Amino acid sequence: MGSRGWRFLMIGGALVMLAGCASGDEWRTWREHPTHYASGDHGFFSLRNREGKTAKVTRGDIALARDEGWWGKPITVSSEQILER
Amino acid sequence: MKTQRIASILAVVLGLTAVAHAASPSNDRILALDRYTSDKGRTLAATYGATLKQINTSIYHCMPWLEVPKEGIGFYKPRDASRDDRYLALRVYIEQEPSTQFTAMPIEQRASSMFSRYVGPLVRRMSGNGAMLTDSSLDGFTVILEWLKEMPLSGGRPVHETIAVFLDKETAVEYLQGMVKAPDLAERARVYGWDGETPLGRLRLASWDDNFVSTYKVANYQLEPGVSCQ
Repeated sequence: MGSRGWRFLMIGGALVMLAGCASGDEWRTWREHPTHYASGDHGFFSLRNREGKTAKVTRGDIALARDEGWWGKPITVSSEQILER
Repeated sequence: MKTQRIASILAVVLGLTAVAHAASPSNDRILALDRYTSDKGRTLAATYGATLKQINTSIYHCMPWLEVPKEGIGFYKPRDASRDDRYLALRVYIEQEPSTQFTAMPIEQRASSMFSRYVGPLVRRMSGNGAMLTDSSLDGFTVILEWLKEMPLSGGRPVHETIAVFLDKETAVEYLQGMVKAPDLAERARVYGWDGETPLGRLRLASWDDNFVSTYKVANYQLEPGVSCQ
Protein backbone atom coordinates (compact mmCIF):
# COMPACT_ATOMS: atom_id res chain seq x y z
CA MET A 1 0.00 0.00 0.00
CA GLY A 2 1.40 3.41 -0.94
CA SER A 3 1.81 6.37 1.38
CA ARG A 4 -1.48 7.80 0.16
CA GLY A 5 -3.26 4.59 1.09
CA TRP A 6 -1.81 4.67 4.59
CA ARG A 7 -2.96 8.26 4.98
CA PHE A 8 -6.52 7.26 4.11
CA LEU A 9 -6.28 4.33 6.52
CA MET A 10 -5.22 6.55 9.40
CA ILE A 11 -7.81 9.24 8.70
CA GLY A 12 -10.58 6.71 8.16
CA GLY A 13 -9.76 4.87 11.37
CA ALA A 14 -9.69 8.07 13.40
CA LEU A 15 -13.04 9.19 12.01
CA VAL A 16 -14.69 5.88 12.76
CA MET A 17 -13.36 5.88 16.33
CA LEU A 18 -14.60 9.38 16.96
CA ALA A 19 -17.99 8.71 15.43
CA GLY A 20 -18.44 5.54 17.49
CA CYS A 21 -17.52 6.99 20.87
CA ALA A 22 -17.65 10.72 21.26
CA SER A 23 -16.94 13.95 19.49
CA GLY A 24 -13.34 15.11 19.20
CA ASP A 25 -13.82 17.66 21.97
CA GLU A 26 -15.51 15.15 24.24
CA TRP A 27 -12.82 12.60 23.71
CA ARG A 28 -10.03 15.12 24.34
CA THR A 29 -11.64 16.13 27.61
CA TRP A 30 -11.92 12.53 28.68
CA ARG A 31 -8.33 11.73 27.76
CA GLU A 32 -7.03 14.66 29.76
CA HIS A 33 -8.38 13.00 32.88
CA PRO A 34 -7.61 9.34 32.52
CA THR A 35 -7.44 8.68 36.23
CA HIS A 36 -10.71 9.41 37.78
CA TYR A 37 -13.44 8.20 40.01
CA ALA A 38 -14.58 7.77 43.06
CA SER A 39 -15.80 10.66 45.00
CA GLY A 40 -17.98 10.23 48.00
CA ASP A 41 -18.80 11.25 51.45
CA HIS A 42 -15.39 10.76 53.03
CA GLY A 43 -13.64 13.58 51.29
CA PHE A 44 -10.44 11.72 50.56
CA PHE A 45 -11.59 10.57 47.16
CA SER A 46 -11.75 13.15 44.46
CA LEU A 47 -13.41 13.21 41.13
CA ARG A 48 -11.70 14.78 38.17
CA ASN A 49 -13.95 13.31 35.57
CA ARG A 50 -14.78 15.89 32.93
CA GLU A 51 -15.10 18.83 35.27
CA GLY A 52 -18.42 20.30 34.30
CA LYS A 53 -18.55 18.90 30.81
CA THR A 54 -21.77 17.19 29.84
CA ALA A 55 -20.44 14.77 27.26
CA LYS A 56 -21.48 11.14 27.61
CA VAL A 57 -19.04 8.49 28.78
CA THR A 58 -19.42 4.88 27.68
CA ARG A 59 -17.83 1.78 29.18
CA GLY A 60 -15.69 1.55 26.07
CA ASP A 61 -14.38 5.09 26.69
CA ILE A 62 -13.43 4.09 30.22
CA ALA A 63 -11.57 0.99 29.07
CA LEU A 64 -9.60 2.98 26.52
CA ALA A 65 -8.84 5.81 28.94
CA ARG A 66 -7.70 3.29 31.52
CA ASP A 67 -5.30 1.77 29.04
CA GLU A 68 -3.89 5.19 28.22
CA GLY A 69 -3.57 6.16 31.87
CA TRP A 70 -1.79 2.96 32.81
CA TRP A 71 1.22 3.61 34.97
CA GLY A 72 2.89 0.31 34.30
CA LYS A 73 2.88 -3.12 35.91
CA PRO A 74 2.10 -2.60 39.59
CA ILE A 75 3.95 -4.06 42.53
CA THR A 76 1.26 -6.11 44.21
CA VAL A 77 0.65 -9.45 45.85
CA SER A 78 -0.08 -12.30 43.48
CA SER A 79 -3.33 -14.19 43.80
CA GLU A 80 -1.32 -17.38 44.30
CA GLN A 81 -0.13 -16.03 47.66
CA ILE A 82 -3.74 -15.65 48.80
CA LEU A 83 -5.65 -18.40 47.07
CA GLU A 84 -5.24 -21.87 45.62
CA ARG A 85 -6.88 -22.96 42.44
CA MET B 1 -8.93 4.25 -6.08
CA LYS B 2 -8.90 0.58 -5.17
CA THR B 3 -6.28 1.25 -2.53
CA GLN B 4 -8.45 3.95 -1.01
CA ARG B 5 -11.41 1.62 -0.81
CA ILE B 6 -9.39 -1.09 0.89
CA ALA B 7 -7.99 1.45 3.33
CA SER B 8 -11.47 2.72 4.20
CA ILE B 9 -12.84 -0.77 4.75
CA LEU B 10 -9.88 -1.65 6.94
CA ALA B 11 -10.39 1.49 8.99
CA VAL B 12 -14.06 0.68 9.55
CA VAL B 13 -13.29 -2.92 10.57
CA LEU B 14 -10.49 -1.85 12.91
CA GLY B 15 -12.62 0.84 14.48
CA LEU B 16 -15.64 -1.38 15.05
CA THR B 17 -13.45 -4.12 16.49
CA ALA B 18 -11.92 -1.73 18.99
CA VAL B 19 -15.30 -0.38 20.11
CA ALA B 20 -16.87 -3.83 20.42
CA HIS B 21 -13.92 -5.20 22.37
CA ALA B 22 -13.96 -2.41 24.87
CA ALA B 23 -17.71 -2.63 25.52
CA SER B 24 -17.86 -6.11 27.02
CA PRO B 25 -15.95 -7.86 29.81
CA SER B 26 -13.37 -10.44 28.92
CA ASN B 27 -14.20 -14.03 29.75
CA ASP B 28 -10.67 -14.57 31.03
CA ARG B 29 -11.66 -12.72 34.21
CA ILE B 30 -13.28 -16.01 35.27
CA LEU B 31 -11.11 -18.97 36.23
CA ALA B 32 -11.57 -21.61 33.52
CA LEU B 33 -12.81 -25.07 34.48
CA ASP B 34 -9.59 -26.77 33.41
CA ARG B 35 -7.60 -24.53 35.77
CA TYR B 36 -9.14 -25.95 38.94
CA THR B 37 -7.08 -28.37 40.97
CA SER B 38 -9.96 -30.13 42.71
CA ASP B 39 -13.25 -31.63 41.61
CA LYS B 40 -15.05 -29.68 44.30
CA GLY B 41 -13.96 -26.34 42.88
CA ARG B 42 -14.53 -27.42 39.30
CA THR B 43 -18.04 -28.71 40.05
CA LEU B 44 -19.00 -25.48 41.77
CA ALA B 45 -17.70 -23.48 38.82
CA ALA B 46 -19.62 -25.63 36.36
CA THR B 47 -22.82 -25.46 38.39
CA TYR B 48 -22.73 -21.70 38.87
CA GLY B 49 -21.06 -20.69 35.62
CA ALA B 50 -23.94 -18.39 34.72
CA THR B 51 -23.67 -16.65 38.08
CA LEU B 52 -19.94 -16.09 37.59
CA LYS B 53 -20.61 -14.53 34.19
CA GLN B 54 -23.30 -12.35 35.70
CA ILE B 55 -20.87 -11.12 38.37
CA ASN B 56 -18.27 -10.34 35.71
CA THR B 57 -20.76 -8.50 33.52
CA SER B 58 -22.46 -6.55 36.28
CA ILE B 59 -19.22 -5.27 37.77
CA TYR B 60 -17.90 -4.34 34.35
CA HIS B 61 -20.93 -2.25 33.47
CA CYS B 62 -22.33 -1.16 36.81
CA MET B 63 -19.14 -0.50 38.79
CA PRO B 64 -16.83 0.67 36.02
CA TRP B 65 -14.32 2.16 38.45
CA LEU B 66 -13.44 -1.40 39.49
CA GLU B 67 -11.15 -3.60 37.40
CA VAL B 68 -11.34 -7.37 37.70
CA PRO B 69 -7.98 -8.95 36.79
CA LYS B 70 -7.50 -12.11 34.78
CA GLU B 71 -8.85 -15.12 36.74
CA GLY B 72 -10.16 -12.68 39.35
CA ILE B 73 -13.43 -14.60 39.75
CA GLY B 74 -13.70 -18.24 40.79
CA PHE B 75 -14.25 -20.81 43.51
CA TYR B 76 -10.84 -20.70 45.12
CA LYS B 77 -9.48 -22.29 48.28
CA PRO B 78 -8.15 -19.76 50.82
CA ARG B 79 -4.45 -20.27 51.50
CA ASP B 80 -5.12 -20.45 55.23
CA ALA B 81 -7.67 -23.26 54.90
CA SER B 82 -6.60 -26.67 56.13
CA ARG B 83 -9.17 -28.52 54.01
CA ASP B 84 -10.37 -28.02 50.45
CA ASP B 85 -12.73 -25.25 51.49
CA ARG B 86 -14.10 -23.49 48.45
CA TYR B 87 -15.00 -19.82 48.68
CA LEU B 88 -16.47 -17.78 45.86
CA ALA B 89 -13.67 -15.27 45.32
CA LEU B 90 -13.61 -11.90 43.62
CA ARG B 91 -10.53 -9.72 43.21
CA VAL B 92 -10.88 -6.10 42.14
CA TYR B 93 -8.58 -3.14 41.67
CA ILE B 94 -10.29 0.02 42.86
CA GLU B 95 -9.41 2.90 40.58
CA GLN B 96 -9.30 6.18 42.42
CA GLU B 97 -7.00 9.11 42.62
CA PRO B 98 -4.35 8.91 45.30
CA SER B 99 -4.92 11.59 47.91
CA THR B 100 -2.50 12.78 50.56
CA GLN B 101 -5.28 12.69 53.13
CA PHE B 102 -6.04 9.06 52.42
CA THR B 103 -2.36 8.10 52.21
CA ALA B 104 -1.66 9.74 55.57
CA MET B 105 -4.08 7.46 57.36
CA PRO B 106 -2.77 4.32 59.07
CA ILE B 107 -3.12 1.19 56.95
CA GLU B 108 -5.82 -0.15 59.27
CA GLN B 109 -7.93 2.95 58.61
CA ARG B 110 -7.40 2.79 54.86
CA ALA B 111 -8.25 -0.89 54.90
CA SER B 112 -11.29 -0.31 57.12
CA SER B 113 -12.53 2.38 54.74
CA MET B 114 -12.20 0.09 51.74
CA PHE B 115 -13.73 -2.82 53.63
CA SER B 116 -16.74 -0.74 54.67
CA ARG B 117 -17.22 0.64 51.21
CA TYR B 118 -16.95 -2.50 49.14
CA VAL B 119 -17.12 -5.83 50.96
CA GLY B 120 -20.83 -5.81 51.79
CA PRO B 121 -22.05 -4.62 48.39
CA LEU B 122 -19.77 -7.02 46.54
CA VAL B 123 -20.81 -10.03 48.62
CA ARG B 124 -24.41 -9.10 47.94
CA ARG B 125 -23.67 -8.96 44.21
CA MET B 126 -21.69 -12.22 44.33
CA SER B 127 -24.49 -14.14 46.00
CA GLY B 128 -26.58 -13.72 42.85
CA ASN B 129 -30.06 -15.12 43.23
CA GLY B 130 -29.08 -16.87 46.45
CA ALA B 131 -29.19 -20.40 45.04
CA MET B 132 -25.57 -21.16 45.87
CA LEU B 133 -26.08 -20.19 49.52
CA THR B 134 -27.88 -23.48 50.11
CA ASP B 135 -25.16 -25.52 48.38
CA SER B 136 -23.19 -27.42 50.99
CA SER B 137 -20.10 -27.37 48.75
CA LEU B 138 -19.77 -23.62 49.07
CA ASP B 139 -17.86 -22.69 52.22
CA GLY B 140 -17.75 -18.91 52.05
CA PHE B 141 -16.84 -15.75 50.16
CA THR B 142 -13.51 -14.06 49.48
CA VAL B 143 -13.24 -10.41 48.49
CA ILE B 144 -9.80 -9.12 47.54
CA LEU B 145 -9.52 -5.35 47.27
CA GLU B 146 -6.47 -3.52 45.99
CA TRP B 147 -5.81 0.12 45.37
CA LEU B 148 -2.98 2.45 44.44
CA LYS B 149 -0.98 3.26 47.57
CA GLU B 150 0.29 6.61 46.35
CA MET B 151 1.05 8.43 43.13
CA PRO B 152 4.08 6.68 41.62
CA LEU B 153 7.23 8.71 41.28
CA SER B 154 8.27 9.57 37.76
CA GLY B 155 9.41 6.39 36.09
CA GLY B 156 8.65 4.31 39.17
CA ARG B 157 6.29 1.38 39.31
CA PRO B 158 2.99 1.88 41.10
CA VAL B 159 2.57 0.09 44.42
CA HIS B 160 -0.76 -1.39 45.38
CA GLU B 161 -2.13 -2.08 48.82
CA THR B 162 -4.28 -5.17 49.10
CA ILE B 163 -6.61 -6.74 51.60
CA ALA B 164 -8.02 -10.23 51.34
CA VAL B 165 -11.29 -10.68 53.21
CA PHE B 166 -12.57 -14.17 54.00
CA LEU B 167 -16.14 -14.60 55.18
CA ASP B 168 -17.35 -18.07 56.14
CA LYS B 169 -20.71 -18.96 54.69
CA GLU B 170 -22.56 -18.66 57.98
CA THR B 171 -21.37 -15.09 58.41
CA ALA B 172 -22.14 -14.21 54.80
CA VAL B 173 -25.65 -15.65 54.98
CA GLU B 174 -26.38 -13.89 58.25
CA TYR B 175 -25.11 -10.63 56.76
CA LEU B 176 -27.25 -11.03 53.65
CA GLN B 177 -30.26 -11.80 55.83
CA GLY B 178 -29.64 -8.71 57.94
CA MET B 179 -28.76 -10.62 61.09
CA VAL B 180 -25.14 -9.43 61.00
CA LYS B 181 -24.91 -5.67 60.58
CA ALA B 182 -22.17 -3.77 58.78
CA PRO B 183 -20.41 -2.67 62.02
CA ASP B 184 -20.03 -6.34 63.02
CA LEU B 185 -18.94 -7.67 59.65
CA ALA B 186 -15.20 -6.90 59.93
CA GLU B 187 -15.07 -8.53 63.33
CA ARG B 188 -16.51 -11.73 61.88
CA ALA B 189 -14.12 -11.75 58.89
CA ARG B 190 -10.54 -12.95 58.47
CA VAL B 191 -8.61 -10.11 56.87
CA TYR B 192 -5.01 -10.15 55.65
CA GLY B 193 -3.10 -7.21 54.22
CA TRP B 194 -0.21 -6.58 51.83
CA ASP B 195 1.85 -3.49 51.09
CA GLY B 196 2.91 -4.16 47.53
CA GLU B 197 4.24 -7.71 47.77
CA THR B 198 5.05 -7.45 51.49
CA PRO B 199 2.65 -9.30 53.77
CA LEU B 200 1.28 -7.28 56.66
CA GLY B 201 -0.29 -10.27 58.37
CA ARG B 202 -3.76 -10.42 59.77
CA LEU B 203 -5.45 -7.06 60.19
CA ARG B 204 -8.06 -6.10 62.76
CA LEU B 205 -10.44 -3.73 61.05
CA ALA B 206 -13.47 -1.68 61.93
CA SER B 207 -16.45 -1.53 59.61
CA TRP B 208 -19.46 0.69 59.26
CA ASP B 209 -22.31 1.47 56.93
CA ASP B 210 -21.16 3.13 53.72
CA ASN B 211 -23.64 3.88 50.95
CA PHE B 212 -21.06 4.95 48.37
CA VAL B 213 -21.62 2.02 46.01
CA SER B 214 -25.38 2.49 45.97
CA THR B 215 -25.23 6.23 45.45
CA TYR B 216 -22.12 7.00 43.42
CA LYS B 217 -22.50 7.56 39.69
CA VAL B 218 -19.68 8.20 37.26
CA ALA B 219 -20.43 11.60 35.81
CA ASN B 220 -22.17 11.40 32.44
CA TYR B 221 -21.75 7.63 32.32
CA GLN B 222 -24.04 6.00 29.80
CA LEU B 223 -24.82 2.30 30.09
CA GLU B 224 -24.50 0.16 27.00
CA PRO B 225 -27.83 -0.53 25.27
CA GLY B 226 -29.63 -3.44 26.90
CA VAL B 227 -27.69 -3.24 30.16
CA SER B 228 -29.41 -2.37 33.41
CA CYS B 229 -27.99 -1.95 36.89
CA GLN B 230 -29.85 -2.40 40.17
